[in-house]
Amino acid sequence: MSGDPFPLNLPLTRLATASSEATELFQEMRKPLLRYLVGLGLSTEEAQDIVQDAFLSLHQHLAGNGSQENIRGWLFRVAHNRARNHQQSYAQRFSEPLDSALEPISRQATPEQVALESEKSRRLDRAIRGLTGTERECLMLRAEGLRYREIGEVLGFPTSTVADTVERAIKKLAEKCNV
Amino acid sequence: MCDFSGRLIAWMDGELAENEAATVEQHVPVCAECQERLAAYQKASVGFAAHYAAVTETAIATKVQRRLPRWVPVVAGAAAVAAVLLLAFMPRSAKPAPAVPQVASASPPVAVEPVTKPLQQVQPVQRRHVAARRKPSTTSWAMAEPAIQIAIPADAMFPPGAVPEGVNFVANLTLAADGSVQGVRLQP
Repeated sequence: MSGDPFPLNLPLTRLATASSEATELFQEMRKPLLRYLVGLGLSTEEAQDIVQDAFLSLHQHLAGNGSQENIRGWLFRVAHNRARNHQQSYAQRFSEPLDSALEPISRQATPEQVALESEKSRRLDRAIRGLTGTERECLMLRAEGLRYREIGEVLGFPTSTVADTVERAIKKLAEKCNV
Repeated sequence: MCDFSGRLIAWMDGELAENEAATVEQHVPVCAECQERLAAYQKASVGFAAHYAAVTETAIATKVQRRLPRWVPVVAGAAAVAAVLLLAFMPRSAKPAPAVPQVASASPPVAVEPVTKPLQQVQPVQRRHVAARRKPSTTSWAMAEPAIQIAIPADAMFPPGAVPEGVNFVANLTLAADGSVQGVRLQP
């Protein structure tokens, strides 16, 4: 798990003025930010607006000689804070039926496998909905490849709190899914 | 419960200090309990990631198809107006802008030397702006129907700073013979 699925090896020192780097960053980060915001329970429309807003803020931040360290964490933090204003129930997104999401698996599987997979999926779905909002946020950001320190910066927690929260959340899921 | 069990998730995530990680790494292969826990944590971790990706990607894919970005009507409308104005004021005999001067034809036909200079030195910086848009397009969308490519600077349409620098879109309009817009295609 030490691999970073979204490495940012961009020459960020020129980001404020170099359009190609900014465009590359937008293309690289747009989807992870959208996923996270939709995962928080926002509609896709709201998520798209917030992502645009976050990049506008980034532009202003860099143009104002703001820190260029950890731009990825910075974007997630801005998006997270913007999302707070739109927040609905965290459980809303995760309570939607997963049938369509799991369809590709179902098509290739035998009826027994389908039944097994859907039972596992339902169990996982229930377990995820049983997590607290903070636990879910930590796991979503972790799934997006953020380090504990970065997650702490997004959510405003010490790194040690993130470590404890991730551990608690994973143990809950493991306990409920592996019985 | 094994003493190491509380460090397995942080270790799995590569979040332990180097010396601590080395201790766990040596312990896991010789502890069946930790191996079992680690497998369960990995399974939960992968399961969450897959579930999260499936749910969010499905929601995004479904709704993005239904909704055009909010700036599309603005860009399309402005581009359509600009196209109509351009057509109205264009002389009937006007031809498309001439191609870029053929530099190669000015050089002596016999002295063909290999090109040694990098491409970047003979071509302008590829930065999207109005002048660049006016060059004859070589993209395939313009082949079938008469078409005009129009560039509208973001500053002319949005408040200053509303569009991050470097984020550009091109509205490709396909025009019918009577000047009506048959299609609008936006390219990033």
